[in-house]
Amino acid sequence: MNYLLPERLDRLAREYVLGTLTGRARRRFERLLLQAPVATLAVTTWQERFSVLAAGVPVMQPRDAVWAGLEQRLFAPAAAAKGKAAAGPLQWLWDLLSGRALAGALAGVLLCVVVLRLQPGLVGLEPQSDALPASYVGLLVDAGGKPTVLASSRRHGRELTIKLLQPVVIPPGKVAQLWALPKDGSAPFPVAVVPDKGPARLKLNDTSEKLFANVTRLAVSLESAPAQPGDKPSDFVLSGHCVKLW
Amino acid sequence: MSAAADLPQLLSRTALRDRVAFEQLYRATCAHLLGVAFRILNNRDRAEEVLQEAFMNVWHSASGYNAAMATPMTWLINIVRNKAIDAVRSGRTERASTVALDDEGMDVAADSAHEPQQLLADSLTKVNIDKCMSTLNPSQRQALALAYYRGMVHTDIAEALNAPLGTAKAWVRRGLDKLKDCLVAAGVTP
Repeated sequence: MNYLLPERLDRLAREYVLGTLTGRARRRFERLLLQAPVATLAVTTWQERFSVLAAGVPVMQPRDAVWAGLEQRLFAPAAAAKGKAAAGPLQWLWDLLSGRALAGALAGVLLCVVVLRLQPGLVGLEPQSDALPASYVGLLVDAGGKPTVLASSRRHGRELTIKLLQPVVIPPGKVAQLWALPKDGSAPFPVAVVPDKGPARLKLNDTSEKLFANVTRLAVSLESAPAQPGDKPSDFVLSGHCVKLW
Repeated sequence: MSAAADLPQLLSRTALRDRVAFEQLYRATCAHLLGVAFRILNNRDRAEEVLQEAFMNVWHSASGYNAAMATPMTWLINIVRNKAIDAVRSGRTERASTVALDDEGMDVAADSAHEPQQLLADSLTKVNIDKCMSTLNPSQRQALALAYYRGMVHTDIAEALNAPLGTAKAWVRRGLDKLKDCLVAAGVTP
């Protein structure tokens, strides 16, 4: 059957838009729509005609929850996922247990273990012990995914230890600003300036527990001056997960 | 729908991931679109779910909107109506296999014949084609109204109006022929 005869096409299009074209006939017509622009045109014309029939429908104000739910589903996937998962003391761990996040975190932990075993002094690991101290660790990678900066801090410490795993190129007149990105998606806040040579110990303006408890990512941007609280970061050149090690 | 809202612009900014424009688009059109979904579903909760699903689609596929093909409102109504029809059809199957007829089903049954006709009359009056459509007999008008406002298929319409299937199909067909003639004659749509 030639569906593209104008009269036949018009009849199919109008019943398709109305919704009375069903079953196999509807699926056949949908395939036709993918192939024949003239069919799409017929459908659009009928959609326009039927929209006239919607003119007399009384309006009905949706409840606020509809927009709130829409925002939640579209713009706060992390928060929505948290709502679905069973909340508990290991919530932060579940938040990390997703594909790439998990891989990144594991890479960070693994690297951290290796580094700590080889050079325990790097992160101020006192008395020779194989146990991991209560701490925060961040592994930042460059655009190519290559590990570049290892940042770590004792849970109640006010120092951040930085180790460069490959040189960081900082253009003249710029500084490499480290930012913390909170889990709830709120604005990143500046942490410290990363030197071009490591290792280094940087002062934090609070304990890392206070600063990083709700932080899931760290990132570095190149700024013309050290950032102040409230500043917005430029594009990130390095970024990675920030995890809590107990 | 707010007369001041520039829907084509809001939609094109939404395609560029502008959240402010997206919210303005929602605010400007949601009450009208919820009205459309509610007529089909006759249940506020389900209509609101459909509205939310529809706007998820709008956010993700706003770049697929073609201003040369349809007005924004036509495009939006079509998304909402298709989702509402899908929902009502899947709900109908679900209800048929679980309960005989619940309260919600009774509500739909009670006003299914009259209310859509009134909506049709009101809409036709708004675009000044009510006189042109007056040559349709009541059954033809009812059949068209049930299909459009309730999302009914031919078999539903035949059952609701207690007519043979072939007759119900002919009523819808005649209603659509007439609708097209009247809209074209009035210069409302091509």
